[in-house]
Amino acid sequence: MRKLLLGSWLLTLLFCLPVLAQDITVSGRVTSSDDGSALPGVSVQVKGTTRGTTTDASGNYRLSAPANSRLVFSYIGFLSQEVAMGSRTSLNVQLQNNAQELGEVVVTGYGGTINRREFTGASSKVTGTAIQNLPVGSFDKALAGRAAGVQITSANGVPGGAIQVRIRGIGSISAGSDPLYVVDGVQLNSTNNSSFTSSNPLAFLNPNDIESIEILKDAAAASIYGSQAANGVVLVTTKRGKSGKTQVSLNYYTGVDEPIKRLDVLNTQEWIALRTQARINAGQAADVARATVLSTLRQPTTLTDAEVAALPTYDWQKEAYRNGRTNNYELSLNGGNEKTKFFVSGSYYTQSANVINVGFKRGTLNTTLTHAINSKLTLEQTLKMSAIQARGQQGSPNGGSFLGSSAFSSSLMLPSVPIYNPDGTFFGTPALGGTPGILNQNIIQVSTLNDITSNINQFVGGLSLNYKPIEGLNIRPFVSLDYRAIKGRYFTDPRTADAFVVRGRLQDQFNQNINFLTNITANYNKTFGGRHDVSALLGAEYRSDRNEFTNSNITNVPTPDFRYGSAAALPQSIGGGWTGYSKASVFGNVKYNYGRKYDVSVIARLDGSSRFGANNRFGFFPSVSGAWLVSEEDFLKGNRVLNELKFRASYGTTGNDQIGSLFGLANFPSLGLVSAGFDYNGAAGFAPSQLGNPDLKWETNVTTNLGMDFGFFGNRLTGSVDVFDRTSRDVLLGVNLPFTSGFTAISRNSGSVQNRGLEIELNTVNVQSGDFKWKSSFNITFIRNKVVKLIDGITPLANPDSAITINYNDFYGVARTAIQGRPLLANYTTEYAGVNPANGRPMFYDFAGNITYTPVTPRDLRYLGSEQPLFYGGFQNSISYKGLTLDALFQYDYGRRSFNNQTSFLAELAGRDFNAIRSVYDRRWQQPGDITDVPRPINGNAETRGISSLGGSRTLEDASYLRLKQITLSYDVPGTIGRKIAASKARVYVQAQNLLTWTNWTSYDPEFLNFGSGNSGVVPNSRSITAGINLTF
Amino acid sequence: MRISIKTLSGGLLTAAALSLASCSDLLEVQPRSNADLTTALNTAEGLDATLNGIYDRLQSTALYGRDFLAVAEALGDNAQATNKSGRLNNENRNVAGASFVNWATSYFAINQANLLLEATPKVTSLTDTNRRNSILGQGHFLRALLYHDLMRAYAYDPGVEIAQQNRGGVPIVLTGVNNQDQLQFPARAPIADVYKQIYSDLEKSVTFFSRTSANNGNIPAYGNRAAAQLLFSRVALYNKDYNTAVRYATDAIGGTVRIVDASGYIGGWRAPRNPESLFEVQFAAPSENIGVNTSLQTTYTTLVRPGDRGTTGGFGDLVPNNAFLSDIRSESSATGFADVRAQLYELGTTGRGTAFVECTKFLGKNGVINLDNVPVLRIPEAYLNRAEAYFMLGRMTDALADLNTIRTNRGLTARTMASFTNDAALLAEILRQRRLEYAFEGHRWFDLKRRGQDVIKTIPLSPTANNLPYNDFRVLANIPVNEVSTNKNIRQNFGY
Repeated sequence: MRKLLLGSWLLTLLFCLPVLAQDITVSGRVTSSDDGSALPGVSVQVKGTTRGTTTDASGNYRLSAPANSRLVFSYIGFLSQEVAMGSRTSLNVQLQNNAQELGEVVVTGYGGTINRREFTGASSKVTGTAIQNLPVGSFDKALAGRAAGVQITSANGVPGGAIQVRIRGIGSISAGSDPLYVVDGVQLNSTNNSSFTSSNPLAFLNPNDIESIEILKDAAAASIYGSQAANGVVLVTTKRGKSGKTQVSLNYYTGVDEPIKRLDVLNTQEWIALRTQARINAGQAADVARATVLSTLRQPTTLTDAEVAALPTYDWQKEAYRNGRTNNYELSLNGGNEKTKFFVSGSYYTQSANVINVGFKRGTLNTTLTHAINSKLTLEQTLKMSAIQARGQQGSPNGGSFLGSSAFSSSLMLPSVPIYNPDGTFFGTPALGGTPGILNQNIIQVSTLNDITSNINQFVGGLSLNYKPIEGLNIRPFVSLDYRAIKGRYFTDPRTADAFVVRGRLQDQFNQNINFLTNITANYNKTFGGRHDVSALLGAEYRSDRNEFTNSNITNVPTPDFRYGSAAALPQSIGGGWTGYSKASVFGNVKYNYGRKYDVSVIARLDGSSRFGANNRFGFFPSVSGAWLVSEEDFLKGNRVLNELKFRASYGTTGNDQIGSLFGLANFPSLGLVSAGFDYNGAAGFAPSQLGNPDLKWETNVTTNLGMDFGFFGNRLTGSVDVFDRTSRDVLLGVNLPFTSGFTAISRNSGSVQNRGLEIELNTVNVQSGDFKWKSSFNITFIRNKVVKLIDGITPLANPDSAITINYNDFYGVARTAIQGRPLLANYTTEYAGVNPANGRPMFYDFAGNITYTPVTPRDLRYLGSEQPLFYGGFQNSISYKGLTLDALFQYDYGRRSFNNQTSFLAELAGRDFNAIRSVYDRRWQQPGDITDVPRPINGNAETRGISSLGGSRTLEDASYLRLKQITLSYDVPGTIGRKIAASKARVYVQAQNLLTWTNWTSYDPEFLNFGSGNSGVVPNSRSITAGINLTF
Repeated sequence: MRISIKTLSGGLLTAAALSLASCSDLLEVQPRSNADLTTALNTAEGLDATLNGIYDRLQSTALYGRDFLAVAEALGDNAQATNKSGRLNNENRNVAGASFVNWATSYFAINQANLLLEATPKVTSLTDTNRRNSILGQGHFLRALLYHDLMRAYAYDPGVEIAQQNRGGVPIVLTGVNNQDQLQFPARAPIADVYKQIYSDLEKSVTFFSRTSANNGNIPAYGNRAAAQLLFSRVALYNKDYNTAVRYATDAIGGTVRIVDASGYIGGWRAPRNPESLFEVQFAAPSENIGVNTSLQTTYTTLVRPGDRGTTGGFGDLVPNNAFLSDIRSESSATGFADVRAQLYELGTTGRGTAFVECTKFLGKNGVINLDNVPVLRIPEAYLNRAEAYFMLGRMTDALADLNTIRTNRGLTARTMASFTNDAALLAEILRQRRLEYAFEGHRWFDLKRRGQDVIKTIPLSPTANNLPYNDFRVLANIPVNEVSTNKNIRQNFGY
């Protein structure tokens, strides 16, 4: 082989001899004028010759050219630049951005990148600059509205809290629907293991360290990740060092996080009148009712009307919903030389929520190092460390109807109840008999005294070697570790209601996750005959993911000063467990490009996973895709209107391996198991808990995608349109068994779900005149989600739909009902028909459309929309003049319908001892003839022989919204001023998040998720206003 | 150069193939918080754990955690619901569907027992024959108990079937399911067949217990020979097989556990373990505490200790009705009520509303509120079973002797044959003692049912009388919807 190499080299040398004499080897680096980042894949041509090369992944090039020739640098999306070489041997070039989109480089996974012109799959890119300095705890939150086909929903407004990402709909019923996250090649474990605080497995990463985010959506793009790719893949690339002078960057922002709204609830006098009326309506005599209500409030029943009118009203929401603060401090260094480049950054970020005592603190350290050992061998190392301390809310991390939760209860507190005693101490503590009403506790005291925290320490590091033995071949071994330790504690103070009787409760959690990955890939590129570009990727991979936990629950501390386990007297429970899985895979990708016009790509992956049943250990996931760059054809080339046009088509399968928690036994879904904990008389016991199914396997997603990319008027208008059909087969379901078998159900691959959609992305440069520039980008996604098939043999419901339904617990533990032929997350209930004007009673439609007081289940059930949107997207505008830039992002989500669990309590209109919401109160039925949708208040919330006044679809609301998600005004300080403080670059800005929201949702925030406790008591998103400064030296 | 690529890609492919070949090892990840169902019972320790797992099922509220005592009382004629938490209201009004819900729990436990009985002979490492026979004895005992309780809830008792409403007994499953190939879809077996099976289990249980010294009645936490004999006498009594009932009752009486006299009776109920128990379900660990909503203590009483009306504990949802109270207080002595058992009923607190006289058999005897062992088989039942069986066999003198054993040990005077106006009066007194002895232990409802008697609700909760005639379909519980929808061979009970 060495001889052969030597021979060919000698041969080349011979041929080149005549020109060799005058040639100079020139090298350099091509960067973008946007942000100075490297541009890989830039064509560098010696003018007037066929000689040329392209830049590598770091934007570097090297070629030999005759002295004094001119080099032409061209790159899609950028203006071509012609540079006279002279006798220089080093030539760095910065290309000016022409427009957007088509020119990007697509990150394809396993170290691969490809020019978007040649990309055959469907993906969306969000650049790091787009999400720079947004006051968010994790980058996924900042993606909302920025990419077509990607739905981002915050579970709540807890800083650094849970976010749900759904790429092209929901394809699973009881399996997981989360995408795979890959950060610098590290496949993350993205399970949420924090018991006491709303957490996000992506919060370890400082969003400002991100260079770009690529979201792979169809099979052609994602199937290289095989059985992990069905829900899409999010590839995150962090910033890399750039050779040259070391740049020191200082970044600081600060701001407030204020509640978007507080609910308008009744004052003391209105509530007393309403509660009295509710009692009278239920048959109580007026004087008795009045006396009962006053005694509920612990007021003398002898109060005169004038004395009642003088009772004060207290605003509990104002105490609970407070302004939070955000601060971010950051320092980064970036530099290096031709051989070694580094990027080092450290940050400290704190944000408190708009609800009392909920917050997030994070310190990060991030280093990236690349080092060329020699011309063939490059080392690349990334290391991210983070320490998070999160403070959670009372009850449950993601909300719920917990009496002690400030987010839930502050609007429900009876308005006459004081918050503080005259001496400033808390009113209504358990020692003082609690507060009047059902809540019976001072929630501000609870939120103040209880200590609910998680400390999450994470380490994500990767090391790779790039070995380029010959031209075009790169062999790349890679190892990575994703380590996460969570230490959680939930101290319920003995002075608060929940732990008064047990004299304090301490719950501790420790959870450790070790996720190890190694792979080796070989990538080979070659051009044959000038027109045939072939590239091949071959790889093998192994991943092992292990999780261990312990927890304890101890009660009875001597005094509230003792807050750790050793001080507590009565252990209640101690737990611990272990789970894990391993994967081994081989994969490959062959791409072929003909004449820069036609692209074909074939991907195949063979995945073995310990999660799969013994009879189906290995899954095969192939895809094929092609693209036709029409604008390179002679008939279109040079067209002044339509300058870019490309068609894409792909077909392939991906798998979903998140099949583990149907019965709470993550990672072992196929095994027959006995579980411990069935103890008796102090001795350990076990019992069968899961019936094995050795045939159990991944869920298979078959995705067809047709796409078109276009650019008009010199790319002043660019965009993409994609239509897709994502059909999930072998969807995991629990098939019920007769109890005589000893088991409740067995998991089988038996369902099918379909997502069909249309995605449109448009980018325009509306105005570009001199220093003034106005750009817009718009995206919209329509998805039709449908349950195609459940399991065979389900008896249809006895209603006009003959609905075939199944009750299930989803992957996240939420009990739901799936209906065949309908979207997932369906609302299936009886339809509310308003109020009988004669007597104020609530009415409902029966199956035939007639009105009834007492609908019958399941006969009268109807499908009334889903919690999934019909369409969603974003609209961004950026206007710049000289150094001033105004960015505005609107985000929208239309068609979600959900029960409003928070306002449904407030809509009881004092049917119980809760406060009521004014908007409903004002519409209530008061006298015969009133035409309204709000029934008369009644004690117990149900009329005689009637169903609940809040039953059926009465509290089902439209949760659609349009939000001014982000608006930023920034100013790049001119160099002349900047230099006075020795800064090469300086930028100041003010920014607002969630400044405006348009919605019909009557609770605090239309952005929420159901994690099993509905959407009540959710910490809402805040309106954050920040100001910041950015200095580079 | 071409060769070099080939070599490289060839090498890589070989490496990949090699790694795949070794994959089967790489991909072997075994759970550590769980164990493999198919091999878990292959060791002696696995058998012990399985056995504990069956007892653990008995702790469920659907069985002896609550329902087989409290729901039975709510359905029957001893008790009234107080509506303090709202629980057991529907059961007390005999609302259709408000009844026993032990189907799933019982069959889960039966599957465990089946697996245990199949696995035990195969575990060669278990060389201790005492232990082996003890395990087998307990397995058969538990399976018999589970099947009999299923029959009591879901099927008519032998001899009092209402033919046009009778849908048979319950499915008999005797083979364990530990993989999906073993799934069966059994139909309901005839009542007689189920009793035959229960007899068989009890015979085997007694035999195995006879061959071991490991179990005796002094350890009532676990199945033992005397417990199996007493259960056998109960099952035979339900089966109207009076000779067998007499035989096994006599065997049980011959064991080590003795009836406690009147002076020790109340103390027996205050001790963690009732000295009369042949078998009681243990509730030892704090994690086994069923808690303030559905434990027996909270269900029966608001008190946390006898005589202390100042502290309110549970809800006291189900209390004796006036008819029962006047019955147990009907015989007086110089110092008050003659029947020592009347001392177990005292006025509760007003902490959750009106005070009622409440049953205090369960008072957190294991030192923590709501944590009580639950007696399943107490020795007085042997005398009562035998008295009734003797009576049915016409052996009146023997019947009277057993009746008087109960009476004299409860502070009552012995009755003479002459004091009964007729035979029926003797039987009535036997059944009355059974009612008084086992009040709030869940016997009364089943005694009425096995004898085909109407339930006379003396304290109606609604203005209209809500007595339950024996031919009412609500006498039997409804089989879970899941069972009917997943197994086409199962027939739902009449009326549901």
